[in-house]
Amino acid sequence: MRKAQEQKRFDFVDVTLRDAHQCLWGTRMTTAMMTPILSEIDRAGYSVINILGGAVFDVCVRYLHENPWDRIRLLCERLSTPCDALTRGQSLYTFELFPDDVVALNARLLARLGVKVFTVYDALNDNRNLESSVKAGREAGMKINGWMTYTLSPVHTDAYYVERTKELLALGSDYLCIKDPTGLLTPERGATLFPAVVAASGGVPVQLHSHCQSALAPKVYETAIRSGFAAGHTASEPLANGASLPATEEIGEIARRLGVEISLDDDVLKTIAGYFRWLCVREEKPCGRVAQYDPALYEHQIPGGMISNLHYQLETMKLGHRLPEILEEIARVRKDLGYPIVVSPFAQYLVTQATINVVQGERYKTIPDEIRKYARGYYGKVAAPMSPAFLDRLKLKPSELVTERPGEHIEPGLPRLRRELGPGASDGDLLLAAFYDKALLEPLERPKPEYRFRTSPLHELVAWLGARRDIEHARIRFAGTDMTFSA
Amino acid sequence: MAERNLTYDDLVQIVELIRTTSQFSEFRLKVGDIEVSLKRANGAACPAPMPQETPVREETPAALPREKKPVSFSENLHLVRSPMVGTFYRAPAPGQPPFVEVGQSVEPDSILCVIEVMKLMNSIEAGVRGTVRQVVVENAAAVEAGEVLVAIEPLS
Repeated sequence: MRKAQEQKRFDFVDVTLRDAHQCLWGTRMTTAMMTPILSEIDRAGYSVINILGGAVFDVCVRYLHENPWDRIRLLCERLSTPCDALTRGQSLYTFELFPDDVVALNARLLARLGVKVFTVYDALNDNRNLESSVKAGREAGMKINGWMTYTLSPVHTDAYYVERTKELLALGSDYLCIKDPTGLLTPERGATLFPAVVAASGGVPVQLHSHCQSALAPKVYETAIRSGFAAGHTASEPLANGASLPATEEIGEIARRLGVEISLDDDVLKTIAGYFRWLCVREEKPCGRVAQYDPALYEHQIPGGMISNLHYQLETMKLGHRLPEILEEIARVRKDLGYPIVVSPFAQYLVTQATINVVQGERYKTIPDEIRKYARGYYGKVAAPMSPAFLDRLKLKPSELVTERPGEHIEPGLPRLRRELGPGASDGDLLLAAFYDKALLEPLERPKPEYRFRTSPLHELVAWLGARRDIEHARIRFAGTDMTFSA
Repeated sequence: MAERNLTYDDLVQIVELIRTTSQFSEFRLKVGDIEVSLKRANGAACPAPMPQETPVREETPAALPREKKPVSFSENLHLVRSPMVGTFYRAPAPGQPPFVEVGQSVEPDSILCVIEVMKLMNSIEAGVRGTVRQVVVENAAAVEAGEVLVAIEPLS
């Protein structure tokens, strides 16, 4: 086996507390599920721990009724490994665009809560949407990790990604990362793309963040290590694979076999994996499973989880039987729209427009307002020219076109929020009020649970038995221990 | 041999065994040096409560289909119909005034309402110059493709 060229070490960024449960558990991991294993994660040898992304923030507020700022503060306090927070550029945690003053305040607050690495990306790869985040993040003392999103299309060539690399470097990125949200990368593409990006990086460390839907990710990570990538994003084994990222354990082994130095502690990783395997059982949530290779994924590019969601949506409209037609139409719509990347929110745009086209039996008779905004350039630059079939139906007026940086057409938001919330409002409250309706924020005031910061299998067994109301008497004996509980 | 600690693998096995035997009033397990014995209150299967978990509130389900009453319109009215199955909204956002009121004059490109289809908003234009005579559907109601939303009396 050829040794990795000039590659001395490979680092690992943990995504177990963020993307792994976002992909496998609908982002439903609570802070209380994380705290007992934090000290082990801190000792496992990760270079960075990713704790925040758009979905985590949103699910905290909407469904878990946790204040996301409290979670960020607590994780940053407990972890001595640098914590990483990810935002979607000018959209932060949602899909609407926010004014520059809100984006800047968010970066300052994250830094104050203890975030050390600030990761930014834009779903259109329009890096003008990262400018205000990066500026404020850097001023607040955070390292900047600039991501570019990978997709397959005739315009998303290696040269396209070299251009994005140069833009991210010009912004002042301390790290670069290729994000492959749907697991579309192949070892063959990596063999040309990765060296091209590394060559353009001017020595700035390049990372890989690739999901496992096509089951090729471990091989793609191997290609990245050989191409001189500095780090890879991975998850603890029970929450790896499938729609999630590859397992730390597996990629660690691949790196070792390539003769590359890594800092992972296998015993600690084993304890972490044991805890999360148990958590899957306790919470009755799925563990990650290795996906089967599926060539169709490279056509429609819709992640598996989204297809099942789409099928469900179509069933409620009595259109379930038209799913194959709609999947085919998605590829056509994507081409007509200038190849948007199939990630949120554009994935939903493609799916909805394709459904409308199929149901109406006529293309673009109805065009949703959001797609009109996209085509106007409201969210950022469109990657390739849009087709006449689409533009003729859209009938854009020249006055509707947006050519400036999207953040520039949005009025500052903080003066109004300060007036509404009064002088006593904290930065966190101001930002939550910028993102959400008041009614959604009320449940966040509820008292927090007692967090446990250590645990053991025995402790978990006792707690689990204690929570079962049907058990009136329990006795556990092993080795030198003998415990009895009675209701 | 040093005393063995309970491992997470042991724990997963024990809990799965306890869960699959919930119809029995007594449970005794001995594997190697581990022994677990339980007595259940009534022997009847109880749903296992989840520790420390608040129930997850899911998205509100889509608006329920209503009983559709047949509506008839006089022939001179221009009927604006829904392009798709979706949800009808009279205002751009909750708490904001409706796009149009009955009696209001509209231009062909005036927006009358929004139909939400799979989370995206479709603005519905009047298509003619005239006066709004009737808003047929209630706000936030589910609508079928082709269902009449608004009736307009065109300016002759």
